[in-house]
Amino acid sequence: MNVIVNRVSEFLKGYPPFSFLSKENLSLVAQSVEVRYFEKGAFLFQKGNDALPHFLVLKEGKVELLDGKETKEYCEEGDVFGVLALLGKRPYLLSAKAVEDSLIYAVPVEIFEEILQQNSKVALYFAAGFASGQVVVRQDLSQGQIARKTFKTQPKDHSLLIFSDQSQIKVSENVRVAPPHISIQQAAKLMSDHQVSSLVLVDERRFPLGIITDKDLRNKVVSKAKDVSKAAKEIMSTPVVTQPKNADFSDLYLTMIKHRLHHLILTEDGTVQSPVCGIISDHDVLLSMGNSPAVLIHALNNADSLAEMRAIRDRAEQMLRYYLDNEVAMDFVSSVMTEINDTIIQKATERVKKELDAKYSECKTLKFAFLSLGSEGREEQLLRTDQDNALIYEDVPENQNEQAHTYFLTLGTGIVETLIACGFASCPGEMMASNPLWVQPLSQWKNYFSDWILTPTQDALLKASIFFDFRSVAGDSTLANSLSQHIYDSIQKKKAFLSFLGVNALKNPPPLGFFEGFVVEKSGEHRDQFDIKARAMMPLADLARLLILSHGVVGINNTFRRFERLAELEPQQAELYSQAGKAYEILMRMRALEGLQHGSSGRYIDPESLGKIQRQLLKNAFSPISELQQLVEIRFQLAYFRT
Amino acid sequence: MSWWPFQKKNRVRKRDFILDFLQKASKPIPGTRAISRLEFVVLDTETSGFNFNKDQVLSFGAVKIKADSICVASSVEWYPKVEIKGEKAATIHGLVQTQNQLEPEDFLQKLLAYFGDGILVGHHVGFDLEMLLRIGREFGLEAFPNAVIDTKFLALRLEHGPRADFNQIKPEEYSLDQVCIRFGISLDDRHTAAGDAFLTAQLLIKLLALAKRKGILTYQDLMR
Repeated sequence: MNVIVNRVSEFLKGYPPFSFLSKENLSLVAQSVEVRYFEKGAFLFQKGNDALPHFLVLKEGKVELLDGKETKEYCEEGDVFGVLALLGKRPYLLSAKAVEDSLIYAVPVEIFEEILQQNSKVALYFAAGFASGQVVVRQDLSQGQIARKTFKTQPKDHSLLIFSDQSQIKVSENVRVAPPHISIQQAAKLMSDHQVSSLVLVDERRFPLGIITDKDLRNKVVSKAKDVSKAAKEIMSTPVVTQPKNADFSDLYLTMIKHRLHHLILTEDGTVQSPVCGIISDHDVLLSMGNSPAVLIHALNNADSLAEMRAIRDRAEQMLRYYLDNEVAMDFVSSVMTEINDTIIQKATERVKKELDAKYSECKTLKFAFLSLGSEGREEQLLRTDQDNALIYEDVPENQNEQAHTYFLTLGTGIVETLIACGFASCPGEMMASNPLWVQPLSQWKNYFSDWILTPTQDALLKASIFFDFRSVAGDSTLANSLSQHIYDSIQKKKAFLSFLGVNALKNPPPLGFFEGFVVEKSGEHRDQFDIKARAMMPLADLARLLILSHGVVGINNTFRRFERLAELEPQQAELYSQAGKAYEILMRMRALEGLQHGSSGRYIDPESLGKIQRQLLKNAFSPISELQQLVEIRFQLAYFRT
Repeated sequence: MSWWPFQKKNRVRKRDFILDFLQKASKPIPGTRAISRLEFVVLDTETSGFNFNKDQVLSFGAVKIKADSICVASSVEWYPKVEIKGEKAATIHGLVQTQNQLEPEDFLQKLLAYFGDGILVGHHVGFDLEMLLRIGREFGLEAFPNAVIDTKFLALRLEHGPRADFNQIKPEEYSLDQVCIRFGISLDDRHTAAGDAFLTAQLLIKLLALAKRKGILTYQDLMR
């Protein structure tokens, strides 16, 4: 195999169906590839034309498949399309047009036909695609997630289900409806007569037009002193969000969460163009669920004992597993888990402070903030891995110094102990609010950060990677805000610090070796295992932090939200950033699943134990890392710093 | 009279395969032929150094473009046998002693059969062709009669217009790396002959697409 053939096959083998091929066949296919280039706007093939003797793989760029003027599909890098050519010389059903300048690998059908006969897996792959009416064999990251879902066996254990099936939720079929022209007063009377909190306005076909709830009466009528003889439709909320009456409970629930709805209208076919047949309120949802986030947080707030808090946190883990198994969106999952963790911390703070205040009456009114650092600070701690935290309090007069420090250290230690009791591991580096170093007044914290920024030693940079992601969880957040401001001011004064951070971000070893194999640990307890945290997640988190700091953006701690924000700030790099964000979500999910499965931190993964699709998914997730590293290297001129 | 420069040349009798090649490659290409019907041989070499008198070709890589497509099947990677004098040069380019080294005559025979009447393309292709001629001269080949395109000058012409003066442009802007970066070609397998040839081929199809957009449609438009 010469270098060129090798280069082509290296690309192809990353994507199904080529990933199923033997080495010999892959090289055979790679050798027969023709590389073509289409400028933006050019057609690759036209609907109705006879199929080319090739099918196409998108190497770079973006291609849309069109039916007339209507876009049916977008193809991304690695997608296989124009596959109908495999089924004999039929005319194309769609046209393909380059949306961006695109490089295409054309694979002769001839070569592939032989392979289809030999390799049933490949044949099956195509057959499955065709059967489902697929025109593109997809391989971008988000689709990879779906692919994983399809390939994965359904979990047998249903005892963990948080979402019951719909039969168990009370859907009110007796939904109150009214025509739109009735007056506001009539509407309110209907609602109070039937003791319902919502009224759906419908047209003569019973299609939903809008909804009026108690809140609308409160906000749009009473508080505005609106004339109640006006038509009810003036105060209805519209457009309405609907779901089909037989929708899965999880769909219903997620729709409500996504749109922040208190009421969700069910119609015959799920659109607003069909009759209303039911309504579901958030109250119904709450009642039907045992382990919903809302219920858990409510229970936490009312927990009396440490044992109870721990039990609730354990239940949250079951919920997490359910979310992960069901591919619930990562930003939702991490928000929910963060909310639960935060509630535990707030609860712990409250408990410990109450005990202490009796002893230290002079200190109890001092302002303080409990800071979460590291992954919890970034709102992405799913498992109860190391806790990293710190405590900051307002500056006090000299003579009160010692007493304040003792008070807050006791408070911090108490909170840390509570967290340990709730199952959070303690930090081996002692970066916790039980360490006197990290329980300090605001001025001292400012000194710490100034020192790190002005003299970026190895140790300072390591601390930066943990402390820079702080987030105020309990107490008074103004202290944290003033610290943030100080940090951003200091960085503005010493921009070179960013370059040092950059060097640090590039220091992590690459996840893949020369032969595209996972780089595994060479020795020790985790020999032959892959360190997903150090090799994949930390680089992404470090890069996101560096880039967002360089834009001077405050207040976004979460890595994938940082990437989202970066995509907005730098539209020309939007693609890369959104891939990086997705990659991070995938890595978080994998790590959490691994951790749940083995009762560990999930940090070390045995590549051999992963399925093919998962391995591929993981490898795909690495690709934005090196691209980002290159970007950072150039942008922060790191060549000068790495001598 | 060993200082008489013309004597040595005349002494070498052209081999038959060279005569065949010269006959084939000298045939002019009609000026009106559309670009998509031209055949390009995109090539690169790795050499032991930059001295035409001392240094030698260590490896040759090339790939053909027909009908605007890079045919991976046509890609080659050959290593002519060289007398290793300084191992230094070889290690610089990371070329270790490979198997399948070709005797110079076999290499030349394959090379010329491969070139045929194709248009020879490369980045700084003049250098590569001059190095290849060092082998050719031993067997009586004085020059390659083929049409030649240097992607460096093609890129310059397309980016700065036909009257651009190369002396006004920073030379590093037209290094293979920089041009590839500008045209969005990822720099894989850099500094292997075949790898660079593949990069140059990708560059060429992108340049040709750009050329067509600018109304350069035929062989004569392209060579002007």
